[in-house]
Order: sequence, then structure tokens, then C-alpha cells
Amino acid sequence: MLKNYFKIYLKIAAENRLYTFLSLFGISITIMFVMIFSMTITKITSGSGPEKNLKNIVFCWRAKSIPTKNGKKSMGYSISRCGKWISETHFKNIKSADVVSVYDGPESWEFILNGKYQKKKQTRTDAEYWKIFNYKFLQGRPYTSEEVTNGVNLAVITRSLSVMLFGQEKDVLGKTIHYNSTDLVITGVVEDPPLTDQNAVGDLFYPYTLNKYNINSDDYLGGFITAFKGKSPKQLREIRKEVQDVVSRLDVADTTQTIFIPGPNSQLEKMMIGYGDPEDYSPGMSVLKYLLFALAFILLPAINLMALNFARIHERGEEIAIRKSFGASSGMLRRQFLYENILMTLAGGVIGIILSYLVVILLGNSLTISLDFFSRVPVTFSFNYKVFAASLAACLIFGLLSGFLPAIRLSKMKPALYLKGGEI
Amino acid sequence: MIKLENITKIYRTKEIETLALDKIDFEVKDGEFVSVMGPSGCGKSTLLNIIGLLDEPDSGLVELNKQLIDNYEDRKTARIRNQMVGFIFQSFHLIKELNVYDNVELPLIYRKTPPHERKKMVMASLERVELTNRMHHFPSQLSGGQCQRTAIARAIAGNPRIILADEPTGNLDSKIGNEVVDILAGLNKSGSTIVMVTHDEHIAKSTHRIVRLFDGRLVG
Repeated sequence: MLKNYFKIYLKIAAENRLYTFLSLFGISITIMFVMIFSMTITKITSGSGPEKNLKNIVFCWRAKSIPTKNGKKSMGYSISRCGKWISETHFKNIKSADVVSVYDGPESWEFILNGKYQKKKQTRTDAEYWKIFNYKFLQGRPYTSEEVTNGVNLAVITRSLSVMLFGQEKDVLGKTIHYNSTDLVITGVVEDPPLTDQNAVGDLFYPYTLNKYNINSDDYLGGFITAFKGKSPKQLREIRKEVQDVVSRLDVADTTQTIFIPGPNSQLEKMMIGYGDPEDYSPGMSVLKYLLFALAFILLPAINLMALNFARIHERGEEIAIRKSFGASSGMLRRQFLYENILMTLAGGVIGIILSYLVVILLGNSLTISLDFFSRVPVTFSFNYKVFAASLAACLIFGLLSGFLPAIRLSKMKPALYLKGGEI
Repeated sequence: MIKLENITKIYRTKEIETLALDKIDFEVKDGEFVSVMGPSGCGKSTLLNIIGLLDEPDSGLVELNKQLIDNYEDRKTARIRNQMVGFIFQSFHLIKELNVYDNVELPLIYRKTPPHERKKMVMASLERVELTNRMHHFPSQLSGGQCQRTAIARAIAGNPRIILADEPTGNLDSKIGNEVVDILAGLNKSGSTIVMVTHDEHIAKSTHRIVRLFDGRLVG
């Protein structure tokens, strides 16, 4: 029976070229966007380059402080990154983590080089930062804990910054970079992290202890991120629990404010929380929100295809009447129409996948996706089974959504009307 | 084989009601070849559609092969049509996207006949109407007579007990029309019960019995 349906589908697709083109165009463009978006998100959340172990890393990156007086919370509140004091004094000592790193940044670094305005990113880190993220050292080494503690003027730079400052010189170790009235001695050169990395970001890295601005801050809020690395997801759960225990103790002890620090969060959670109030975040609601958004995105072209299908129902009246005359039940006809629609959407899906590949290859880094107010990432092609499954699911949902109602209408048609041209 | 009792069928639109069949009693015995005649709009096609369970009467009883059709549940009527009835239409009603072989195969597909058996049955039907040499042709590549022979092959592919032919010669010239009637007569001799709607008195006279309809009533 499927062979018979398939033959019909091919013939109808070939004969109704405008319909086929419009259907395939709508489906393939939608699938292309779904593919590009899901591939990029997958790439970001699964990690690559220095973030290749991202699945074993969680971050304390947001803090909310509500002033409290006599046990009553004030109406206003502040949300920012975590302060140096809580990060360095409390989070850094979390026992359940294998490695804990505290870092600040990235921030924009603007300078004039050979009369030209340049813009790069600088990040202030501790020594553990280099154990959390797997940067590839092309020259030299990272700075050590001792050097960080002593505030030694050292820097690690990326290859692109090295080329910008020193041209193709092979050995730049020991050279200096003048930054913020300080000469930083280059101790290492690393491969540039990919642009999809959201945490391992920067061109110039130097010990955070050099930044006097943060030294004496003892607030919960500040500019710091703490990254915790474990060996497995189970260990991440223990880290989360220990961090929240620390936060609870601090919160109880402080009568002047109520503090809320989410997580520590995975990269996916960070993206879902975004820059909103972290206390409002609920995993279930966030997933639901994104699912609804995805459904709405798929629904619009599906409705369009549904309208095309409805418009074509009468063209197929005779065929349906013939099939009913020779023993097709309404259920069989519904299945046939859904099958055809799914074939159409799968064909559109394949075209969409090819299109997404071509778009990424041809447009490269010039096509970006905005993740939030501050960061845009280039689209990327990373074929994996999750993305493939997502696309396949999108095609099936698309096919079912656009075919379901027309299939019901089609199966309920009165065969007698189409077999005798309406004559009684 | 076919028994209709007190069948009434009314077509309703928002504005008007049209009485298509008015308390019809009609019986066809096993192996009979009956012609139904009457002017346009008298209810001939409605009668065939009700016998073939393509339409449901407003009142009355339908019995096919001693089986009373007491409800018109979609799957049940589809199964009875598939196993018991073969249709032949004036306009052939072949699926234009399928070739001759695939068109003839259609009722067997819905019957879920195994492929090797299906092939034998399709080939037997095509041999009976002498169309094996055209089995890979599409309807658009066939003459009117060949289309109608394809439609006959499709109607008999599943060996149904009843063949309902709605003006099968209406779109054919008299020579080809006579060939089609000869094929139907041959099928009848092989045991098929046939009810045929026709406007052609000459063709009608070649059948066992003529039934006449006028304004939804049997008049002879």
C-alpha cells in the first residue's frame, strides 16, 4: 500500500509544481532555521575548544541582593555577577569540586596600534582557570597560583593578538604588553577559542589580583564568575548542594540583606536564565517556553501548508471517491494523506538540512545568532544525532500538523458526488 | 443477492429537499443481469450508490448476499464494498497517476492480498479483458474502450459477487460499447450478479430484466 501511496505522491508532486515548490520552500526554510539554531545551540551547550569538558562544569555567575530591615524585604533589589569576596572566600573552598576557578571579565579593551583603533577582550583570572578550560598553549605556560597570589605582571595572549601586536614573530615569550599603565610580560600564547565558546572568552588574560579595583570589595555582588569542575554529573549535583548550603548559611547570618544565588548552573541553564531575575527561573517553565516558541515557529508554515492542502482537497475528490468505492476506509485515506504529507515534509527537511549546511559554509562567521542582549555567536555546522533527531522530529510534527485536519476533511468526502459529477 | 426494501433517499441543502428515491422495493437474484433505465435525475445512480453502500438511505433496509446492512459504520461498509462489490463507471474513473496494472490492483491492496497472489489475480483480470499488453500504460495513453476495459478489470480483480455498472457504455461508440456489454455478459455467465444503469434500450434488452425508474419510483 505504501508503494501505491508513494507513486501517487511522486506523480502529484511532479504535476502540481507550484504547490510542490511552495510546500517545499516553506518546509525547507523552516527546517533550515531550526537546524541552524539547534546546531548552534548544541555546539554552545556541548562545548568545544577550551570548553570541551563543558558538561562537567557549572558556574556561579549571578547574584541577587534584596535589602532587608527588621526582617522585612525592601521592594528594590540588585542583580549582578557575584562579588570577589563571596567567590574567593567561600566558593573557592567548595570541597566537592575537583577544580574551582574565579575569574572576572571579559571586558572590552580598546587601544590604538600603528594609528589604528583596535578592540579586543581582556579577562582577569586565577591560575585554576587554565585547569578548568583546556586552552591549547602554542608557546609558554599559564601563570601559577603563586604568581597570581603575588600579583606578578604576567599575561597569556591569544595567537590572533600575538600576530596583531608582533606580526609573525615565532617567539613572543618575555615581550611586554602595555595595559592599564602596567607592562605585562607574556608568559604564554594560546590558540584562539572558537567564537561559540561563551565562557572561555578573551584575547588577553592576566592575574585577577592585578586589578586593584576589586581587591577590597566584600559585597555579594560584583563582577566575578566562579567555575566548578567535577568528574561527572553526579559530582555536579554535590557541588550544587554544597554551594547552596554555603549561600544559605551566609543568608541566615546576614540581617541586612537577603541573597539569592542560582545554581551553580550549566551553560544551558545560564542561557535559559539569561539576564532576567534568576529567582524567577523555573526549569519546567523555561523548557515549556522554548517548546512553545519552537511550536509557534513550526506552526506558522504548517498552517500555510495546511491552507494549501485544504485548497487542493477538491482536486483529489475523484481519486478519494475511487479509493472509497474499492474498499478504502476513511482511516486508510487519512493515513495515506498523512503519509504523503510526511513524505513532503521529509523531502523539505532534507533540502532544509542541505540548505543549512550551504548557508553555514557560504556565510561563515558573518551570520550570527543573538543569544541575549550582549552576545552574538556565529552560526555553526555540527552534525550530530541530537540535531538530526530534532530536525526529524520537526519534520514529523510539521507533516502531522499540516496534514491532520485536511486528512480528516478528505476522508469524510462523499464519494457519490465525485463519481457522478454531482448528479443524483 | 440484492434486496432493497422501502428505500427512501432525500438530498437536502439549506434551501431545498430533493426526493431521489421514494419507497423503493428492489430485488436482484444471484446470477441475474439487470438493467436500470429512466430519464436523467430519476434516481438511477442513487440506487446504485445505495446498493454499493456509497450512500446511506434515509429509511428502508438493504441486504447484500443475505447480509442485512444494519449500520453504516465506515470500516464495515468499506470491507463489504471491497469484498462483495465491483464498480464500473461511465467516466471510467481510473486514477490517472497510476498505470493500468496499479489501477487494477487497487481493490486487492485494500483487501491486503499477499503480493504474489495479487499479481496472479491482476494478470488474470487483465487477460480476461485482453489488456495485458497495455498494463504499463497510463490512462492518458489509452483509448476510451481500453480505459473501460481497465475499469472492468479493476471491478472484477477481487472476484466480487456483485458488479454495479453505471452507464458503462455512455462514453463509448456503439462498437466499443457492444464489446463492453459482451464482456459484462461473459462475466454474468461466469456467475457474477450485475446491475447496470443504461440509457440504451438495445443494450438493456440484452440483459435478463429491465427495471424502470421515474421520479424516484419504480415504474416497471
